[in-house]
Amino acid sequence: MNHLPQAWGRPRDDVYGPYDSSYLQSNQSHGPTQHTQSPVVTGTSVIALKFKDGVVIAADNLASYGSLARFTDVKRLRKFAGTSIVGFGGDVSDMQYLDRLLNSLDIEEAYSTAGHTLNAKNLHTFLSKVLYKRRTDFNPLWNQVLVAGLDDDSKPFLASADLLGTTFSAPSLATGFGAHLAQPLLRKVAGDEEAAAKLTKEQAIEAVKESMKVLFYRDARSLDKYSIAVITKDGIELKEDEKLENQSWAFADQIRGYGTQIN
Amino acid sequence: MDTLVAQYSKPMFEKENYSQDDQMELYQAAPSLSLRFAMPPVAQPSAWLRAATDDNANPNCPIKIAHGTTTLAFRFQGGIIVATDSRATAGNWIASQTVKKVIEINNCLLGTMAGGAADCQYWLAYLGMQCRLHELRHKRRISVAAASKILANLVYSYKGMGLSMGTMCAGVTPSEGPALYYIDSDGTRLAGNLFCVGSGQTFAYGVLDAEYKYDMTEEEALALGSRSILAATHRDAYSGGFINLYHVKEDGWVKHGFSDTAPIFWKTKLEKGEFSNVTSELV
Amino acid sequence: MAAMFSQNPLMNGPNYSFNQAPSTSSGGNKEHAFYPYTDNGGSTLAISGSDFTIIAGDTRSTSGYSINTRFQPKVFKIGGTTSAQDDATLVLSVVGFAADGEALKERLDTIVKMYRYQHGKPMSVKACAQRLSTILYGKRFFPYYVTAILGGLDEEGKGAIYSYDPVGSYEREQCRAAGAAASLIMPFLDNQVNFKNQYMPGSGVGHELQEREKIPLKINEVEDLVKDAFDSAVERHIEVGDGLQMFVITKSGIEVIYKALKKD
Repeated sequence: MNHLPQAWGRPRDDVYGPYDSSYLQSNQSHGPTQHTQSPVVTGTSVIALKFKDGVVIAADNLASYGSLARFTDVKRLRKFAGTSIVGFGGDVSDMQYLDRLLNSLDIEEAYSTAGHTLNAKNLHTFLSKVLYKRRTDFNPLWNQVLVAGLDDDSKPFLASADLLGTTFSAPSLATGFGAHLAQPLLRKVAGDEEAAAKLTKEQAIEAVKESMKVLFYRDARSLDKYSIAVITKDGIELKEDEKLENQSWAFADQIRGYGTQIN
Repeated sequence: MDTLVAQYSKPMFEKENYSQDDQMELYQAAPSLSLRFAMPPVAQPSAWLRAATDDNANPNCPIKIAHGTTTLAFRFQGGIIVATDSRATAGNWIASQTVKKVIEINNCLLGTMAGGAADCQYWLAYLGMQCRLHELRHKRRISVAAASKILANLVYSYKGMGLSMGTMCAGVTPSEGPALYYIDSDGTRLAGNLFCVGSGQTFAYGVLDAEYKYDMTEEEALALGSRSILAATHRDAYSGGFINLYHVKEDGWVKHGFSDTAPIFWKTKLEKGEFSNVTSELV
Repeated sequence: MAAMFSQNPLMNGPNYSFNQAPSTSSGGNKEHAFYPYTDNGGSTLAISGSDFTIIAGDTRSTSGYSINTRFQPKVFKIGGTTSAQDDATLVLSVVGFAADGEALKERLDTIVKMYRYQHGKPMSVKACAQRLSTILYGKRFFPYYVTAILGGLDEEGKGAIYSYDPVGSYEREQCRAAGAAASLIMPFLDNQVNFKNQYMPGSGVGHELQEREKIPLKINEVEDLVKDAFDSAVERHIEVGDGLQMFVITKSGIEVIYKALKKD
């Protein structure tokens, strides 16, 4: 320990070697990040919106390999226990691993003597604990997931969990690029819980479909084939082979500033 | 063959939750005595920890740990004086102006806090526990030499892991008389008459060395301790707040106040004519 | 980037001219490890009075410049007998990395519940404060990235607040602000709660000035103070806003008050 006020009580270079900031290469700094373990085949946004008596959730059917649109029929909405839907963004292999894990959990619960099924809230708690433990072990599951379904009081439930174990819940949620593009559109129809509690199923589906269209226009890692699910008390309505309708590329010729330009 | 079988008979997923034992460890009401600390699962935990917490090398490091600063203690004919400031900084941010940097290990042993505030608080509390255990086992109080050695050995076993503490143990025991030891996280342990520790140490040494005499009266000694801290708070930006003053005597320590530096500074200047570099015009 | 803004602006201020910059390793093989932290922004604030404690926190959760949600509580009741925490007496606020905060809260809550079960009485705020410190220190080498504040009423019924750094150094205080806007709120509290740099009007000038008498604040005054502090923080910090949760702890229990904050 020396007398220099600033250095006092801090690690000394002669004991610890030089300061190595590469440990901090992080999600916080902008620009490309590199990781020892990084996602390879990835899914882009998942978006979801609560309404009066349930939740609508959607994700496209694309799994990208870097910038290559590699697999075009990957279902990123997974059913759980007939009560909930988990929408996966991020690494596809980790998604498949989690899907296996959730299946085993479902089977275990079905055979248990307690005899109740896990609802979306229970499922979200479980998933967030798994993700947080993995991040603590520095072996993350590279996903951000949305869990949609009903809670203990059979009210609509929608929450997110990510590779760091961060969790949050809101009337509308979107992962990845969707957080920037779709979330403003969804918040316009359901800015808070009160507004979401007034939405009809049709309005909610309409808003989600519209957001999927906007994502397809602007997200280069997206596809016009998508899955959409509606979860209510009556069960899950999952459609896995939807196609975006009424696309209008009229805006495209207004775009200036990219590529070859004549005027 | 067995490995081949094991490879293909691996379960499709791992057990994703903590074991029963880990959970018990995590949730027991009384803290564990085993000193098992969670480590980041990387090859170089100390380098990782440093990257995240060293606000000197990287002012933008994410986790800012509170640091403490000027502390002093000296022996004289009437016992030991222990004095500290009370400022804690996290980077350039003053996290607190009211830190208790004199840690009362038990009613006759004092420790001081400089360096990482949490390190000092935790390990001196741990030392208090060890001292009490020593008393129960041996039916007499632990010597300051032994107590300080427990601490020194302990921090030495963590050397290179990122602990940061510079502490002094002061106490009076029948076998040793007044005893004063300096221990730091490098593993150094020194007996001595007079120590100043922390970023303001040089300023405190300046005053203390100039005026120190072993045969001082109690009043003189208390005044000198206070004056040395005042000098350090005046010149070291990382020191300030309040002056925390203790006197360790044969029958235990006595607290002599936790006093704001500002009025003491003006009193020292206006009544004694010191700090003449500062103007007294306050308009 | 988020880290830069969440930290106190003063950090980027002047440094010692003789500052010897520590050497930084360059070249060689760099390991780009997984980075296990993020900062979810937000701010918390606690003030204790003669027979009450108020702990408050905003409800915004952010990642970078995006708002995750407008309602994620940072303040929690601790150690009630049920998961509803109706009979809890302690309150914990956590700000920083939300997942670490959640883990810390659940761990402390379980421990305080275990204590109640094993000892047949609720844990005192003093005991809980010490235990929380050891929990945080248990992760000294892989810290919880959180700033915690624990509040309750002490054995004499007085308001008690304990504030922590990420690795468990703690101190009982009158008031404390933590999180992204700590550097905006704390000076305001120094002035308004502890009357720092306030003097009696007409007591003179310069050395003649008499300090304003320190009087304990009343509960409704503190509630107003908390609201003002957050309203001001919202004006000047992008990570603070949306909603304000105030936990008012008195001997009759814990009252939770929600107030709206600006949502821009």
